[in-house]
Amino acid sequence: MLMPKKVKFRKQQRGRMRGKAWRGSELTFGDYGLKVLEPGWITDRQIEAARVAMTRFVKRGGKIQIRLFPDKPVTKKPAETRMGKGKGAPDHWVAVVRPGKILFEMEGVTLQDASEAMRLASHKLPLRTVFVKRESAVH
Amino acid sequence: MATATESTILEAQPRTAGTKNDARRVRREGKVPGVLYGAGKQALSVTLDPRQISRILRSASGHNTIFELALDGSERTQAMIVDWQYEPIKGSLLHIDLKRIAMDKVLQVRVPIVLKGEPEGVKTQGGILEQVTREVEIECLPGDIPTSIEADVSELVFGKVLRVSDLPHNPKLKFLSDSNLPVAHITTVKEEVVATPDAVAADAAATPAEPEVIKKGKQEVEGAEGEAAAPEKAEKKAEKKEKK
Repeated sequence: MLMPKKVKFRKQQRGRMRGKAWRGSELTFGDYGLKVLEPGWITDRQIEAARVAMTRFVKRGGKIQIRLFPDKPVTKKPAETRMGKGKGAPDHWVAVVRPGKILFEMEGVTLQDASEAMRLASHKLPLRTVFVKRESAVH
Repeated sequence: MATATESTILEAQPRTAGTKNDARRVRREGKVPGVLYGAGKQALSVTLDPRQISRILRSASGHNTIFELALDGSERTQAMIVDWQYEPIKGSLLHIDLKRIAMDKVLQVRVPIVLKGEPEGVKTQGGILEQVTREVEIECLPGDIPTSIEADVSELVFGKVLRVSDLPHNPKLKFLSDSNLPVAHITTVKEEVVATPDAVAADAAATPAEPEVIKKGKQEVEGAEGEAAAPEKAEKKAEKKEKK
C-alpha cells in the first residue's frame, strides 16, 4: 500500500477541497488517462485496488502511471469509545483530489484495452471519473 | 515534411485589457480572451472565436500553424499561437497568447515527434515502446517549421535508446534540445502475480504501520532528556494519587 516514508507530523486536520485541479490535469506520460470530476479523498486501498484491476486486465501489455499519492493521514477512534480524550490514532492514508486531476495514465495498449482497464479501475474509486485520451493517440 | 504555414485567416477584435471579470464576460459571450504581442510592437488584448482556435490547434501542424490575423478587418499580420490554457474539467479554451511573426527572422518552436514503424523489441522480445519525449525544440525560419519530425523505430530493441541526435536532421532546422535527450526506448512491465495469503501476511509484516516522524535537532536533545525525566513524572503522579 502507498504511504509516505517520512512525515513531519503524525496527524493532520481535515482541510477543505475548494477549486479545481489546475495542476496535474493534463496527460503527461501516457496516451490515455482517467480524470476525476468531483473533489474527494481516495484511500491507499482504493488506489491499490484500481491499480491491480488495470494491471490484471492489460497483463504484460501496457505501462501504467499513478499520478496521485496518499500523503494525508486519517485518524480513527477505537470502536465503542466515548467522545473526547484527544484525536484518534492514524488509521489510513488518503490522496486529496480536486476535479480535473488525472489519476492514472496508460500507454502501450490499444484504445479499447485502455478504455476497458480504466472502466474497471473507475469502479474501485469513490468519485465520478472520465476516460481521456491524447489527441495524437493512435485510435 | 510539410511546413506549418497555412492560408487561414483568423479574425480578432481588439478589447480593453481589464480585470478577470472582464475576461469572464468575454467567455460568457462565447468568445475567448487573448493577447497579441511580438515583432517589437506593443501588446494588444484581443477577443477571438474559440472554434477557429480549436480548428488551428487540432490541425496537422497544431500550435505551430502560421496564419493571418485580421484585426477588426483593418490590420493584417502573420501570427502563431504560442500559449493556450484549457479549463481542467470541461476542456474549454480559457486564454490564448498570439505572437506576431516576421517571416524573415528565425524563431524557436516545439515540434512533435512522430514514431513510425513497429519496433523489433515489441515484435519479437515482447517489450513496450515508451515515448519519453514527445516534442523537440528547434530553431528555424517560420516558413520552414515542419508539422512533425518523423523517427523510424522499427530497429529499436531492448537496451537501445532513440535519442534526439538520432532524429532526421535537416540543414534548415537547428535542434536546440540536448542531443543526448532520450526520445523513445523499449521497456518491460512485470506481470501482476496473484498474491498468496502467506505473501500478503509477510508484506503486511514487512511494511511499518506508521512512517517515521521527522524531528528537529532541538527536539531530539529534549527528547533524550525527556525520556530520563519521564519515570520521575510518573512517580510524582502516583504520589499525588496516593495522597488523594
